[in-house]
Parts: sequence; C-alpha cells; structure tokens
Amino acid sequence: MVLRQRIHDAFKETMERMTGPRMVSAFKEKGVLSVSDFVKAGDNLVSKCPTWSWEVGEPSKKKVYLPANKQYLITRNVPCLRRAYSVEEEYEAAGGEVLLDNEDNDGWLATHGKPKETKNEEEDDLPSMETLEISKGRAIQSIPSYFGGEEEDDIPDMADFDDSGNLVEPDDPATLRNQYFVAHEPEDENILRTRTYDVSITYDKYYQTPRVWLTGYDESRMPLQPELVLEDVSQDHAHKTVTIEDHPHLPGKHASVHPCRHGAVMKKIIDVLMSRGVEPEVDKYLFLFLKFMASVIPTIEYDYTMDFDLGSSSS
Amino acid sequence: MASNPSPSSPSLNSGSVLQFDRFQSLVDVGFWHRLSSLKLETLGIDQSPITLVGFFAPHSRAQVSNHLTLLSESLPTAPIEHASSIETNLGNRNRCPVPGILYNTNTLEEFKELDRDNLLQIEANKILEDIRLGKVEEDSTLLLRFLVISYADLKTWSFRYLFAFPALVIDPPATLMSLQPATQILTAEEAESLSAACNEWRSSSLTAGIPFFIVSINSDSQATLRPLKDWESCQGDQNKLLFGFYDPCHLKTNPGWPLRNFLTFICLRWKLQKVRFFCYRERLGLANLEVSLIGDALISIQKEPQYIPKVVGWERIGNRLALRCISLAESMDPQRLAASAA
Repeated sequence: MVLRQRIHDAFKETMERMTGPRMVSAFKEKGVLSVSDFVKAGDNLVSKCPTWSWEVGEPSKKKVYLPANKQYLITRNVPCLRRAYSVEEEYEAAGGEVLLDNEDNDGWLATHGKPKETKNEEEDDLPSMETLEISKGRAIQSIPSYFGGEEEDDIPDMADFDDSGNLVEPDDPATLRNQYFVAHEPEDENILRTRTYDVSITYDKYYQTPRVWLTGYDESRMPLQPELVLEDVSQDHAHKTVTIEDHPHLPGKHASVHPCRHGAVMKKIIDVLMSRGVEPEVDKYLFLFLKFMASVIPTIEYDYTMDFDLGSSSS
Repeated sequence: MASNPSPSSPSLNSGSVLQFDRFQSLVDVGFWHRLSSLKLETLGIDQSPITLVGFFAPHSRAQVSNHLTLLSESLPTAPIEHASSIETNLGNRNRCPVPGILYNTNTLEEFKELDRDNLLQIEANKILEDIRLGKVEEDSTLLLRFLVISYADLKTWSFRYLFAFPALVIDPPATLMSLQPATQILTAEEAESLSAACNEWRSSSLTAGIPFFIVSINSDSQATLRPLKDWESCQGDQNKLLFGFYDPCHLKTNPGWPLRNFLTFICLRWKLQKVRFFCYRERLGLANLEVSLIGDALISIQKEPQYIPKVVGWERIGNRLALRCISLAESMDPQRLAASAA
C-alpha cells in the first residue's frame, strides 16, 4: 500500500513536471479546475468568507504556476468539538446519507446539509466550557511530545524548572483563572476535548482539483499527531481517502483528503445542479467543494456560508 | 517580588474587579523548522534576542478563543538586521501582526536559569515607555508586545518554550460596572452603523491589522472608527466615544487580555477614569454585535507620574506555567527522514 502510494507519487510528480498546468476551463465537463479557475474561486471564497485567506507558504515550495501571493488558502483555529464517529451514529439513526456515487465502494457520501443543523441543540449537549473543572492531574510537564514517546525521558528534566518566581501572579486579581476547559473523561461519549484545526486548500496540478489538508491541535494547543487527526475524519474515509502526506506548501506531514475522485464527484454535483436548471459558476466551485468535504470531516466546523441547494431534499 | 496574596478590594460598592481572560499561544510547526535553519545556517551559538512577529485575529467562531500564533513567517528571514516582516503581512485581516521577542538558549541549563522576572519587566518597561512617549498612538500593537523563551535542542529536534503576554498591573485594579452584548447597549441604528464601520475597517488593508481604535457615534447614530492618534480631535465633538479592540476571547462574561494594557494606556496617557470599552468580535469573519461586548470600567489615575506598575503575564495552564515541549524528530531528523523514505 505504502509502496504503491510512493510509486504513484513519483509518477504523479513526473507527470506534473512534464505536463503544463491546465489553462482551459473544463469545469462543467469534468468537474476540474484550471489554475486561473482555482484562483478565481479562491478569491471569491476569501471575499465571501473572510476567515479564509490566501497564503504564500514556504518560499522553497513555491509553485510557479500560481501567483506568488496566492499559493494556497487557509482558515485557522476551526473548532472540532466532537469526534467524527459520534456524529456518524446520529446520522445512521436519522438515515441522513445519500451515496453520490454507487458504482463502487469508493462512493462519496453526501450529507443533507450540516450534520446537526441546530447549533443551540448542540450547545445544550455540551456542558458549559467555562464551568468544567480543571483536571489537576494534567500538569503541563506531562504533555506528551509530538510524535510518540521517545522524548519522555527528557521531559522530567523540567521538573526542577523554577516555577517560584511568579508566585505573585496567581493572586493577581485582574487575571481570570481556570479558563482552560478540560473535559471530563468521557462518561458521555460525545464529550471529548475541543480540538482546533487549520484547514488549508491547495491546488493539485495532477488531478486539477482543490485538495484539503488538515493540521490539528489538541485542547492545550499542541500539534496533534496526524494519526489522531484521522479520528476527526468520517470512518468511511480514514486511511482510505484520507492519507498522511507532505504538505505542498508547509513543512511536515499533514492529513489530506486524497483528490483522486474529487473531479468525478464535483462533476456529479454540477450535473445535479444543471439538471435542476441551476447554472453553476466556476467562482462558486469552492463553496460546493467545501460543502462536499463536510461529508468527509463532519465535525470540523469551517466556514463556507452559502447554503447551496444541491437539488436534493436539503432543507 | 512581593507575595502579598490579599487582593485589593474594589473601591466602589457596586461593581467587581475587572478580570481579563488570558491570551493563549499556538506555535505552528513551521516556526520550529525555520528557527532550526536559522540556528544552523545563520545564528550559530549567538544568543542575542530575536525579533518576532506574532499574529492574532478577533474571536470568530463559537466556543473557541483566538490565539497569538507563531508561524514560520514570524521569524526574520536570513539577514537578521532587516527584522520585522510586519510590512509584508499588512492587509491580511486574519493575521494582525504583534511585535514580540525570542530568547533562545543553547543549553537546557541556560534556559532554566533565565531570569524570567527580569525579562518580563524589560518588556513591561518598553510598553510603559511607549505609552509615556506617545508611541502607542502611532502603533497601537506595541501594547501587545509578547515574549518567548526557548531552548531548541537540535540534536534531538526537541523544543522547550514558554510564552509571556506582559500586562501592567494597575493598583487598585479596574472595576467593572457592566458588561453586555453590544446590541443591548446600542440602538438598532447605532449597531447597524457600527457593524458597517467595523467591516470597512477590517476589510481595508490600511486598517485591518490595527487592533485598537476609537468608536465615535454622533447624534445621528452614525458610527465611525478612528485611530488612536485622532484622540485629540475626537474630544471636541459631542459624540459618544467607545474604546474598541480586537477581542480574541470567546467568553460572554469577560473581555480578553488586550484590553488590559489598553485600559492602562487610557488611564496613564489620557487620564480617563471612566471608560466605555468595546470588545470587537466576529462571526464568519464579519462584525457581529451580538457576540461583541460593551462594558463600563472605572480606573484610578495613578498618583505618582513616574509610578512603575508591577507586571504579570507568563502563560499558564491552571496555576502552572504553560511550559511546553515539542519533539519534531519525526519530521526533522535527517536520519529518520532517510529511514522512512527508504
């Protein structure tokens, strides 16, 4: 599997080098985007949903076919209050999924809008973050190091770190204390620690589609191991369509939704829209795309505002 | 340091001590990657402090506060002398630049022995000086100066670090008289006008990164946002004035940390004792006055002009210092990278 992926990556890389970027739009015919379509759709996303912005990324990873100041899109600090499986259980109970592509088992699931439309209801489900008690056992020194435990031996060396200098500070009356919500151990399976995500969208030159990347942080704002990110991916997709790879513009490994079927699914969505008499515009591509991504990462509440009528029974 | 635990009692019968929600830090992995190459390629064993640019934005999504974030762009590029990359980041509304400083040590012992009280006091003194010399009116982000100490162990690719967000402690502390959603304080017309003015401020590349401002509402309910340097001219007209700031905090009950030095500034520099402040917050990246708050605070003018306030601000989790350790061997160690690629 890993080998296959590597061979494929090498092939893809070679193809990308040999073929020029798509310049002609094949948006309606194939569900894919040219480079300029991607930039146009990205500009529209940034203007309608200003929590998204264009970024430059690592200079060494700059893609010449994209504008220097519009290499990829990112939105930061997106909350993820529950793990994906808890939402899936609700879905199944509600019968709320449609298979967009049932020719094989790789079909994408489309949702009827947001997992749980009623935000208030969800807030009611969660105990007030402010009142949750601090877990005393979680001294900061014990925060696990990124990527496995080999460093654990090293961490106790901080035990003698002089913590006495600022003793006056906990008594500072103007500092609000105990703000850190650390959830109880899950008596209720739905309550887990709040994670946050940086969600980025890059242009995949080979598949000529956008590609979503996830960078996760735990509730104390330390990076999540990419393996743990898979808990926030629909279990139909974890390890299958969601893989852990090098980010094209950032250092390190990140979880990504593999774009191999994006074009086909987008084509289907566009066909549905057209059959309902809606003429899809290329600058709305990313809104449709992000709505479709919500079926893969149902609990990561990124912004895409527009409530599209996909022609289905969406409310 | 004095360790007298008794909190000063509020000087008024009504109202309570105004409490600020701490700022929180988040470091992108890219920051450590760039710091490592900076150490290896440029700095060597030089331990001079490094100028940083941190980024933050107003609160925008339910239930999570925004952070002060360090990215790889937070560090200067190769020639250290041309520090501040603040200019290149102007205009990105999701990245309001904040000046900071990094003390990175070469050994763990040096890291542990850093005189943290002194380092924090140095930053606080800079803030105080910027207030007294009027620099804050020109560049309000100076009120948000932050400090990071770190030990980058490039043998094991692990990084230990601790943040501080220095806040000047005024004594007695400010008293909170009221704090409510902005929509409950303003008329519908005022709220609509203020929303529009904030959205305009946030979408112009000239003002998007300026986190402190004055809101002026005239008798026709029209709101305008003015930079701090317009303070003098704001006083003449009979408009209602609010002191606005980008609030990273999500709580309905408390304002965020940036208000703290802002109030101190208003009290020391403009000699106001009663301040109506505006915690600016967003939804979907747009002004939202349901979640934005307006509050009234009373502050006492410090009697001695050369008064040096105490300072607090080391990041904490609970009552402990938020000392962190991150290991990036998996993604940085050349040997491991080679092994995983084989």
